[in-house]
Amino acid sequence: MTIRLGLLAAVLLLALAPLGLPIYAMTLLTEALILGLFAMSLDLMVGYTRLLSFGHAAAYGLGAYAAGNLLLHTAIPLVFAVVLAALLSGVVAIGVGWVCTLATGVSFSMLTLAFAQLLYAVAFKWTAVTGASDGLAGIPRSAGPFGMTAFQGKTGFYYLVLIFLLLAFVLCRALVNSPFGAVLRGIRENESKTRALGYNTRAYKVAVVAIAYGLGGLAGALYAPFAGFANTELLYWLFSGQVLIMVIVGGAGTLIGPILGAGFFLLVQQYLSVYTDSWALFFGLVFIAFVLFVPQGIWGLATARLGRAGRR
Amino acid sequence: MALLELDGLTRRFGGIVAVDRVTMRVAEGEVRAVIGPNGAGKSTLFNLITGVLRPTSGEARFAGERLTGLAAQRICQRGISRTFQLTALFPDMTARENARLAAQARHPRRWQPCAGGALFAAAGRRADAALERLRLTRLADRPAGMLSHGDQRLLELAMALAQEPRLLLLDEPTQGLSVEETEEAVATLHGLLADLRMTVLLVEHDMEVVFRLAHKITVLHRGRVIADGTPETVRADPDVQAAYLGGFA
Amino acid sequence: MDFAGFLITQCLNALSQGALLFFLAVGLTLIFGIMRIVNFAHGAFFMLGAYVGYSAVHLTGDFWAALILAPLAVAAAGAAFELGILRRLYGRDGGAFLMVTFGLTLVLADLIRLTWGVAALEVPAPASLSGVVFILGEPFPIYRLFLVAAGGVVAFGGWQFLERTRLGLLIRATSQNAEMVHALGTDIRLVRSTVFGIGCGLAGIGGVLAAPLVTASLGMGPNAVIDTFVIVIIGGMGSFAGSVIGALLVAFVQVFGTYYFPDLALAFMYLIMVTVLVIRPGGLLGKEA
Repeated sequence: MTIRLGLLAAVLLLALAPLGLPIYAMTLLTEALILGLFAMSLDLMVGYTRLLSFGHAAAYGLGAYAAGNLLLHTAIPLVFAVVLAALLSGVVAIGVGWVCTLATGVSFSMLTLAFAQLLYAVAFKWTAVTGASDGLAGIPRSAGPFGMTAFQGKTGFYYLVLIFLLLAFVLCRALVNSPFGAVLRGIRENESKTRALGYNTRAYKVAVVAIAYGLGGLAGALYAPFAGFANTELLYWLFSGQVLIMVIVGGAGTLIGPILGAGFFLLVQQYLSVYTDSWALFFGLVFIAFVLFVPQGIWGLATARLGRAGRR
Repeated sequence: MALLELDGLTRRFGGIVAVDRVTMRVAEGEVRAVIGPNGAGKSTLFNLITGVLRPTSGEARFAGERLTGLAAQRICQRGISRTFQLTALFPDMTARENARLAAQARHPRRWQPCAGGALFAAAGRRADAALERLRLTRLADRPAGMLSHGDQRLLELAMALAQEPRLLLLDEPTQGLSVEETEEAVATLHGLLADLRMTVLLVEHDMEVVFRLAHKITVLHRGRVIADGTPETVRADPDVQAAYLGGFA
Repeated sequence: MDFAGFLITQCLNALSQGALLFFLAVGLTLIFGIMRIVNFAHGAFFMLGAYVGYSAVHLTGDFWAALILAPLAVAAAGAAFELGILRRLYGRDGGAFLMVTFGLTLVLADLIRLTWGVAALEVPAPASLSGVVFILGEPFPIYRLFLVAAGGVVAFGGWQFLERTRLGLLIRATSQNAEMVHALGTDIRLVRSTVFGIGCGLAGIGGVLAAPLVTASLGMGPNAVIDTFVIVIIGGMGSFAGSVIGALLVAFVQVFGTYYFPDLALAFMYLIMVTVLVIRPGGLLGKEA
């Protein structure tokens, strides 16, 4: 109950944020929400199904480039472009998921990494679509032919991101609490038994990869108009690592944990980069420490303290 | 017509014939024990029936329809449930959740990505009934990983029952149980099987258990059926005695 | 350029490439064989070897000294990591190992960036090995011939080591049955640290040897790990002979593949990986993990 109230309060605070926070803080918060969405999408794979992906940046990059192209070259308004880009990610992910789930365990993880690396290499070469190493610049927040200007300004865009995040959260929550989610949990705890019970576990895994990539693509698609650009950094393996860190440090298997992890990550990154260039080193160490000593993550720890099981 | 029919089922692994032209008929409601020395091919036989392995030749039929060649999931959906030699459970889920997931597998919309209240309730009822039959109700809310070994074996059985199978395959159900636990398990099983008139294929090493539960016994030796009949017939069969006395552990 | 000359040159290219890949693969397969973990940081140790090699060459002015010192440093780093961190994870599932070694990759990548900067570094080949030799009228770098020789020597040496020495026997025994070896009184933990160190050291040798060819850069890590992983899957996780065969196979496909389809090197690797995993569906690790 306390947790429910706390979450409601948090949502309220987020809704009211533009009234109180200065502009630079709002920009940071917007980016935090986008990364939070990205991390939450990975949690579906890592936290709920134990499908360890080292290539989730592929989803983000796909979404960003797709949205970037749509916004730059067509008159499709912002919201539709974002949704279309997310759908594209999801559809591509069906194929990717199908290939990656040919294997399990480490082999699966390596395949996800390989795919992301492949996309990274392709992005450098496919100048027409990706602008190669320069990337795409000047991505507009198009109002489209119907003049939907509500989300163009900084505050408007913030609310767009917040709405998408909340919608995605509700979707994910429904998913993990559904019969489908129960099967995912079975796969996480004992895949061969789940198969022996009569479930086609491969199909479930492909489905969760598609959904995770779709939502990850949504995050990337929001980033493109947010930052105004998209480049190959979004497909880089370091970025895949960072989002994995957000999930684990925040608390895998909780949906909320990864969102918090994203916020924590961004905040620390901002704070540290004033003093030093090597916040990546710091996060690598924090990551290792958490895997070793706090595998349930920050949120897992917090909810355990509050007397409830950390995982749902 | 027998519920389960095996015709010349054979499985080779390279040069080794693990299952050699096994032919069997199991009638509905019958409890058939499959026994034999180690390495006789019993587990392989189970794997062939459940579709985990493809036979090199031969056929299996269930209620008149072909089983061989179907994917393992499809076979399971036809109404065949199985337990394993090494207990396989979901350790962090409660006993009830374990049984519920098993029951859910038989629901036509088990993959439903939202809502699910009605589905969970229906599956939950089957789960509770199964737990009740195995007298595990008091442990329903305990994580499966924390149960005693004996209770875990029973939980696995409950999971199989929660699927309301037409054919139950039990792979060494009393494996690793103490004398008391075995006693209890056999008593429970005996009552249960009689009540439900379930068709069962049972692999067991413990002869006491076999003689108390089985209607008929099939003896395997080096992958081949060497005897097949009632417990008394099998007991007296000289080939069987030779196989067991032949020094195989 | 006639076809025979072309063929020989490319084959030698493939062999030299195979030698480099072999150093990586044998280290990874050794670690897996003994410890049943996949060292995701293997590419990072390879990279570390290249960079430390660069510094060693500049410090000592001697490539050969660097070839000895750098791998030793990398091996020490690996052993230290196993001692301090990996040891705490035994008994946890494979995912934990993967994540921790991934974390190490990030840490190493940044440490390298901090120490050596982001620019690619040029490591000159030693004077005795630079220049070309003419084979059937085609120029071929002597350094690459050296790589082929080095690879062959280490492959032979490794084989003999495993077959004839006590430590080699111990390693083979442990990879088959760790508990038994422990029961016989050997300190398994020492074996593990040593093996992890040796495995990383081998990756380090690969890095030093590769440096004059590819110029050390920060992008080396993840691609190296993918290549290596594909090789050990093909050859068999934990199999020494497999790492030789796999390395040669992959090298030949890469060299001839990039000649005919220059842009598709990475796609080739991915394709090979997917094909192998289709033929052996669970992946080799899928069954063992």
